[in-house]
Amino acid sequence: MCFKTLPVEFDDSGNARLRGGIPDPYSVTTARPEVNMTEAERTAQIEQLVKRNGHIKDLNMDPVTRIAGAMALHVTADLQDGRYLQAHSQAPLFRGYEVILMGRDPRDATYISSRACGVCGGVHAHCSAYATEMALGLEPPPMGTVARNLAETAEMGYDNPLHLYLLAGPDYSEPVVKATNPELWPKAQSWRCPGEKHHGFKTMAEIMTALTPLTGELYREGLQFTRLSREMFVLLQGKYPHPQAIVPGGVTSTITLQTLNEYHARLGSIFDYAQRMMAVWDDIPEFFYEADERFKEVGARPVNMIDTGYWDHYEAYDATYENCNEWGERRWSTPGAIIDGELVTTRLTDLNIGFEEFVEHSYYDEWDGGRYGTDPLDNPLSPYHPWNKRTLPKPEPKSWKDKYTWAATPRWDRQVVEAGAYARLFITAKAQKLPESDFIEATGHSLKLRIPKGRTPETEVEWHVPDVWNAFERNRGRAYHYVFSQLVGLANLLDAYKLMERGEKKVARLTASELDTHVQRAEGRGVGFWGAGRGWLTHHTVIEQGKIVNYQICTPSTINASPRDPWDQPGPYEEAVMNTPILEKMSDPSQFTSVDMLRTIRSFDPCMPCTTHASTGRGTVVREVNTCSCGADG
Amino acid sequence: MASRTNGDDGKLDRSLAEQFLDVLGPVDRWHDHEHIGDFGSPARVDMEQLLEPVAKAGPVSRLGPLEKVHAFWFAGMSCDGCSVAVTGAEKPSLEDLLMGAHPGLPRIVLHHPVLDLEGGPNFLRAHERAIKGELDAPYVIILEGSITDENKAMETGGFWASNGEEPWGKDGVERAVTANEWVARLAPGAAASIAIGTCATWGGIPSAQGNPTGAMSLMDFLGKDYRSTFGVPVVNVPGCPPIGDNFNETVAAILYFLQGFGPLPEFDELGRPAWLFGETVHRHCVRGAYYEEGAYAEEFGDPECLVEIGCWGPVVNCNITSRGAINHVGGCMNVGGACIGCTMPGFPDKFTPFHKTPPGSRVSTTASRLLGSVIKPLRMYSNEHLNREVRWDIHGDVPSGWASEKSEPGALRGAGHKLYDKLRRTTDTGRQDNETWGKRTEWTQARDPELEPQLPRGGELPEEREVSSQEPG
Repeated sequence: MCFKTLPVEFDDSGNARLRGGIPDPYSVTTARPEVNMTEAERTAQIEQLVKRNGHIKDLNMDPVTRIAGAMALHVTADLQDGRYLQAHSQAPLFRGYEVILMGRDPRDATYISSRACGVCGGVHAHCSAYATEMALGLEPPPMGTVARNLAETAEMGYDNPLHLYLLAGPDYSEPVVKATNPELWPKAQSWRCPGEKHHGFKTMAEIMTALTPLTGELYREGLQFTRLSREMFVLLQGKYPHPQAIVPGGVTSTITLQTLNEYHARLGSIFDYAQRMMAVWDDIPEFFYEADERFKEVGARPVNMIDTGYWDHYEAYDATYENCNEWGERRWSTPGAIIDGELVTTRLTDLNIGFEEFVEHSYYDEWDGGRYGTDPLDNPLSPYHPWNKRTLPKPEPKSWKDKYTWAATPRWDRQVVEAGAYARLFITAKAQKLPESDFIEATGHSLKLRIPKGRTPETEVEWHVPDVWNAFERNRGRAYHYVFSQLVGLANLLDAYKLMERGEKKVARLTASELDTHVQRAEGRGVGFWGAGRGWLTHHTVIEQGKIVNYQICTPSTINASPRDPWDQPGPYEEAVMNTPILEKMSDPSQFTSVDMLRTIRSFDPCMPCTTHASTGRGTVVREVNTCSCGADG
Repeated sequence: MASRTNGDDGKLDRSLAEQFLDVLGPVDRWHDHEHIGDFGSPARVDMEQLLEPVAKAGPVSRLGPLEKVHAFWFAGMSCDGCSVAVTGAEKPSLEDLLMGAHPGLPRIVLHHPVLDLEGGPNFLRAHERAIKGELDAPYVIILEGSITDENKAMETGGFWASNGEEPWGKDGVERAVTANEWVARLAPGAAASIAIGTCATWGGIPSAQGNPTGAMSLMDFLGKDYRSTFGVPVVNVPGCPPIGDNFNETVAAILYFLQGFGPLPEFDELGRPAWLFGETVHRHCVRGAYYEEGAYAEEFGDPECLVEIGCWGPVVNCNITSRGAINHVGGCMNVGGACIGCTMPGFPDKFTPFHKTPPGSRVSTTASRLLGSVIKPLRMYSNEHLNREVRWDIHGDVPSGWASEKSEPGALRGAGHKLYDKLRRTTDTGRQDNETWGKRTEWTQARDPELEPQLPRGGELPEEREVSSQEPG
């Protein structure tokens, strides 16, 4: 029984149905989650504080840099108590990809929806192909599925270091630490790194120097490794971002032995680097926790996560919704939902029917009712489900009480859940449903990763489900996800060699001319359950008389950047910022950099281009109302 | 409510950018930086200050008048893919451009929201200085993503794409500043305005049929008469994404020219770097030869020419087949991806539906099938001959353990090859019979039947093998 809030129950054979006796089961007042503090209470509390302190300072931070795309964050900070009292997350850009897709030929969806995001630039094309092929009933041949996995593990190989070293890393670099927490620098200089054997840095200060933008060794090396992984991606998909060899029912890549060998040659050098990366991001949290326990609260929020799973097993995947729970659970990364640290489901149908999107605080008009009462398996479906949702953009003035963002508000079981690459580690570790592999083992509480030797000896590392959940653990999780994804890549490369040896070289179900005939009479619903560098990714499509009549994209950063929901529950960014203590040192308020908030936000790896419903933004509005009583303005 | 009336002078030829500024009016308020302090700037210095000690060039490496150039990067309706492409470039790399790490290259002070250390109003400080005309060096503006019709969004009181806030609202209230507004205000004073990627160069996918935002290109917005302070119209580096190296190389080429040692780069009639976009992508395609032989992929994944499974390469200006996507690796058709014209002004609506044979290709593929039916067998015939050592021809024996006998397959074909060899050598001066005075003949091995017994193993050949059908006379 995975649903606590939605009135959905299961019969003996596991089919979902609505609980009886509820007149309007999906009314937003019926299923009301518990909310600790209402907006009214929070506003009253802030007003009280403002009155007491007597001084308000307005600051607008726009853009928040070093995230992908545009995002705005409105915060109210109490510098005296070192707390963020209020936070609103805003996505300031819309492009309308869903709107453009409606009314088009389903063959256009793959390459048009790809342009939703150029940061995780291959995931949308893949996800779209999955959604479309489900609607069209096109099961890819084994090599097609394996080739997709190879491209998509390579993509993670680019994505994770890009975030850790170009976007998040500078916040832990020498110039930043010296400026915001100068008391940590002498400690860093004498703190011996436990991971020295793997990364080669003697002290934490050496790591911090190496994280410095452009001049730092780790920064430059990270950028170089993103290029290597992009080379692996383009071996199969032609270019990056925006692949050019995906089609519903498979891929169009010409896969030769040279393709696989070139991929292999590059993958080899990644394993040496992966060991170094994990050791760096293991040492950083240890250092900060030891320096001040309160760093554990930076970016903290409950362990509520969802993930669609990622990388299908070629023997299991058949592109049907009917069998999605079976093939879903055989993925290289297990789908699932975790609520309060407990794994509540690993079934894709549960993830799908529990998923809703609201636009209460977003620049869209509400739509009336839904087209579908159930999914194709007769499980009940909310009118707020993507198959029922319509994208009706309406630019409006910003109002924190009313509408303030281009992002919508996705919720699962009406709970605030978080998406991330690390969600794959949590769910895969707990579920223990991983395909058999020499390289990865799920223990129920950890993931054991056996890294083959490169120039460095082979090693076994273990990612443990952390005791605390915060900004540092997100980054650590991302570093482990890097090696996890590359090991999945290796397992799939071996499968590709095996398929080639067997002569199973076919990469797509239909030829171009067969596809041309096939789409003319296409009819059906499809959903792509896929993943991005930040976790969860779905595309929902409805095709009638050969034409797309609805298309809905839900990205991980939409989930994380979401505004308040109809029950006043803040979105993950908002909640995490409000849980973050202000730990930087300042002698007067003009020195307030808000670095703790920035570490929190960047730990989610915000990727805003596709957040606003395949609308994107760049630049960040941070409106900071500074309730300040630390003296300098007096 | 915004309206699209023209300016005071009543002229009808004002650009959309000028009309947009007419609506918004001039600006004269700025962020109070004393008040803002270090907010959003966790190192308390900005990227320029951080890099200056290492990036500033001495007199030896400067080679020209410019020590540095500011570059303001704006995102209209963008996916960030162009930024990502630029981080992948290596010739020259982004790091090297920012560090001024090539002789003669002025350091580029890049104001880019994805890369900069500082954020918020501290990030926008240089933008404000540029509008006020107080920057200490020339600047260029770079736009990624399409321009939108913000007039339309203003009708309901909102915006499509904002890039930060400035105190430009009524009574100094902070308000969202759209990408359009930054571009409109900064383009007239820019040394160059560069559009990167197909959204900014030609409108791209956000401007596709059925779009709700009125998306358009930078040229559409700035108009035909736009010139930078150096007299240059909008420079366009298209591609979705563009090849990172196409962009970085174009920037470097412009800078080398400005420094006085590079030639003036040539741009085509649409402002594209002519040396990169002058050819169709088919002309350098690794599968091009399949086309001339009339061999076409039927299934996805086949190695032949992709035209019949939806490739538009023969009519698309692009260089990805020769340059590759990154570090000379990849390239759409090189790996099996059919060209959908993503560098072209007609993208996407003139290329959809994707994965379908372009109707025009029927004519040329039929013609090349006819020609190919002649050429292809002839080439295989010669190829077969060239796959044999001369020695094997003489001995009629291929000592390979990999295959069955690969000796000459018949008298007729042998005669043909002999004739072919004769034709090939008709003007070969090596055949003239004057003496080769400097040559020591006793150590010379000739591929000649009479001399063959002198070669290793030559004398031991079985009698019947020595007499082979193609033995030259």
